[in-house]
Amino acid sequence: MNSTNDMRWQMRRARKLERLASVGSLANGRVVETGNLVAFLEAVLRPGDTVALEGNNQKQADFLSRGLAEVDPGRINDLHMLISSISRPEHLDLFEKGIASLVDFSYAGAQSTRVATLLADGTMKVGAIHTYLELYARLFVDLIPDIALVAADKADRNGNLYTGPNTEDTPTIVEAAAFRSGIVIAQVNELVDGVDDLPRVDIPGSWVDFVIPADRPFQIEPLFTRDPRKITDVHVLLAMLSIRGIYERHQVTTLNHGIGFDTAAIELLLPTYGEKLGLRGKIARNWALNPHPTLIPAIESGWVDSITSFGGEVGMERYTAARSDIFATGHDGSLRSNRMISQVAGLYATDMFIGSTLQLDPLANSSTVTRGRLSGFGGAPNLGSDPHGRRHSSPAWLSLSEGEGQLGVKRGQKLVVQIAETYGAGATPRFVEHLDAVEVGTAAGMPIAPVMIYGDDVTHVVSEEGVAYLYKARDLEERRQAVTALAGAGPVGSESTPEQRAQLRRDGILALPEDLGVRRSDASRSLLAAKSIEDLVTWSGGLYDPPAKFRSW
Amino acid sequence: MTRPVAQPFTEFRARDRVRALLDPGTFREILDPFARVESPHLALQGIVPQGDDGAVIGRGTIDGVSAVVVALDGAFQGGGIGEVSGAKLASSLEQAVNDNRNGTPTRAVILLETGGIRLQEANLGLLAISEIHSAIVELRSFGPVVGVVVGTVGCFGGMGIAAGLTSHLIMTRGGRLSLNGPEVIETEAGIEELDSSDRAGIWAMIGGAQRVAIGQAETLVDDDADAVAAAVRDVYRTAPATAVPARSTRIAAGRRLLAAVDPTGRPTPTDIRNLSTGGSL
Repeated sequence: MNSTNDMRWQMRRARKLERLASVGSLANGRVVETGNLVAFLEAVLRPGDTVALEGNNQKQADFLSRGLAEVDPGRINDLHMLISSISRPEHLDLFEKGIASLVDFSYAGAQSTRVATLLADGTMKVGAIHTYLELYARLFVDLIPDIALVAADKADRNGNLYTGPNTEDTPTIVEAAAFRSGIVIAQVNELVDGVDDLPRVDIPGSWVDFVIPADRPFQIEPLFTRDPRKITDVHVLLAMLSIRGIYERHQVTTLNHGIGFDTAAIELLLPTYGEKLGLRGKIARNWALNPHPTLIPAIESGWVDSITSFGGEVGMERYTAARSDIFATGHDGSLRSNRMISQVAGLYATDMFIGSTLQLDPLANSSTVTRGRLSGFGGAPNLGSDPHGRRHSSPAWLSLSEGEGQLGVKRGQKLVVQIAETYGAGATPRFVEHLDAVEVGTAAGMPIAPVMIYGDDVTHVVSEEGVAYLYKARDLEERRQAVTALAGAGPVGSESTPEQRAQLRRDGILALPEDLGVRRSDASRSLLAAKSIEDLVTWSGGLYDPPAKFRSW
Repeated sequence: MTRPVAQPFTEFRARDRVRALLDPGTFREILDPFARVESPHLALQGIVPQGDDGAVIGRGTIDGVSAVVVALDGAFQGGGIGEVSGAKLASSLEQAVNDNRNGTPTRAVILLETGGIRLQEANLGLLAISEIHSAIVELRSFGPVVGVVVGTVGCFGGMGIAAGLTSHLIMTRGGRLSLNGPEVIETEAGIEELDSSDRAGIWAMIGGAQRVAIGQAETLVDDDADAVAAAVRDVYRTAPATAVPARSTRIAAGRRLLAAVDPTGRPTPTDIRNLSTGGSL
């Protein structure tokens, strides 16, 4: 038998060719007209298809998702949706209309309440709630898409795509479908004639089957912009404790930051407080980070050597282009981002993840899930975990090795730091006996609780009471004592006794502000290198162009 | 690399703002927080009162001349005027009127960081605001009454009228001045009328740069403590009280502007600038 031509092993390709033929006059070559979207989707899709729809916490293929929600459920139904972030109402309309039935996702942000409801009444079935990296990885293993719906800035008539600063997930999703005889459909803000009309090619045309000019530019959210005006003196104190107790002590040079106001305060303290401590060049040099506007003063002051970005950030386009020594840029000069690569970088190539949490239990399990909302995860569980497969060492990583290890082999550990102000908005305690996530997980019938960061990965906790060095705790009781010592007033904090705290300090497991040379009365907004968005614009020499919702002028 | 200003005025709370405008070492507070004259109405409504009721009354000198500088604390109840804070402002301005009458020239500067009436004590706040208005008008006959609107709250409601009554208004780009605030307009008239989340659009309409451009404020200043203090002193150094009639007395110009605006259309900030500088739509 001539195995080269044995069609029994080329069924996926045959099915693809059949679909391409059925599109007929709805496409002119690779180009579909804007107004033909719904008819085109009805022609190319089949019931039961696995559909990867691009949508993360920044960029959304919203023209395609709005079109998909308009197809006839009598023709197209039972779809299995793969959506990294369920962010838009029509993502859930798909399930209410009977177009889709099963979803695998990672994050549900703005739609978290409705997700919880649809799950509870059975309208939507969930394969699993993943981290970003897991979901992308499974696109190549056992969740291979039949259809990929993605968003690009520009395309030419041959399907070459320019995704620009917000490349993000697009190459990963396209690759998963394109090399498995899936059909790749891209919405574009602008269609140009030839490849020379594109600033650069981010995804080659041979990976792309169809391009459709969108009715309006794809939705994009400035999720990583924190207004310095909202940083409080307490955030500044948390930042000072973190810099002295962790960055300086462990000499952390490679890192990732969360998007809270406390980590924004750290970014804004580097050129002031950090400079006074003589730490420039010694800490915080190489980052896996989106282009945070609050990092501009540190970059301008010579603190930062390199940044690899998961996505772009609205308003940072000209700044990142003008700082190509720091950010990855294409030959056209504009930023290139890639979420999957940056996630891997954040997992394996950085020594520290530091971020805020909404709830922390006494063993330092950490979660942003609260009652009635099923928000899922973004990248925090990947970035905030110790990759046991890591083999390269660094001073920071090695500084967490205790003795010779359980198996008699010395190894280091990633620093995973959770910042928890003792009380959050509305006087809600951040330190709790039991995470809401456990109850939410049970109510939704999930096989495991949606815990963001497992306690055994958390090496340090910071609150305004001090810093806990949990990696030094010898047993669970000591770990519990170290966490409750930081909890402040309230039921969890009242477990902690002065004797316990004194012993923990002697053992180096707990450091109070005075142990770190931090005076609480010094913690003031006056230390911030920028106190407003306007200050950030000034620092950038006018290159940062904040979106309208962040302007006060 | 360009560094921002070291001391943004907006970073100061009310007390430090008052101190910054008076000659160094002359600040003396009337009814400070330890006098414990606070609102009797808030606790009953489940709100923790504040020892100064969100109003700071400072006496001292400006360029050696006796002065009263009053400030509302935007961080407490949005700078809203209640019975106590309103009475503190009104009586300190009335005292300045008396001082002037009795032969002690006294300058008056009002730092406006307020959403207007404090809704929890609205009637009493309204009464107080009318007294503040009267005092400002009366004070104008003795010399410039200076208003300062820098943000971050801005100046709205009945206190927006107070700002309009001053003889000289100093604003920053970040300061806003209006009657109804954008959120109120969106709530009452719908998002088609005004999208309050379009911050750039809001500031283009009611921000300091626009207010100065259309003659509803006199001086645009950087958000810098030294610059604001200098701008206040400059008013007294360079502008005699009688040089320009107060804004609120220029009735004819106001009527002409009103007549020129077509309310069925939607004039842009640029249209309003053209109209107020004598052009037409």
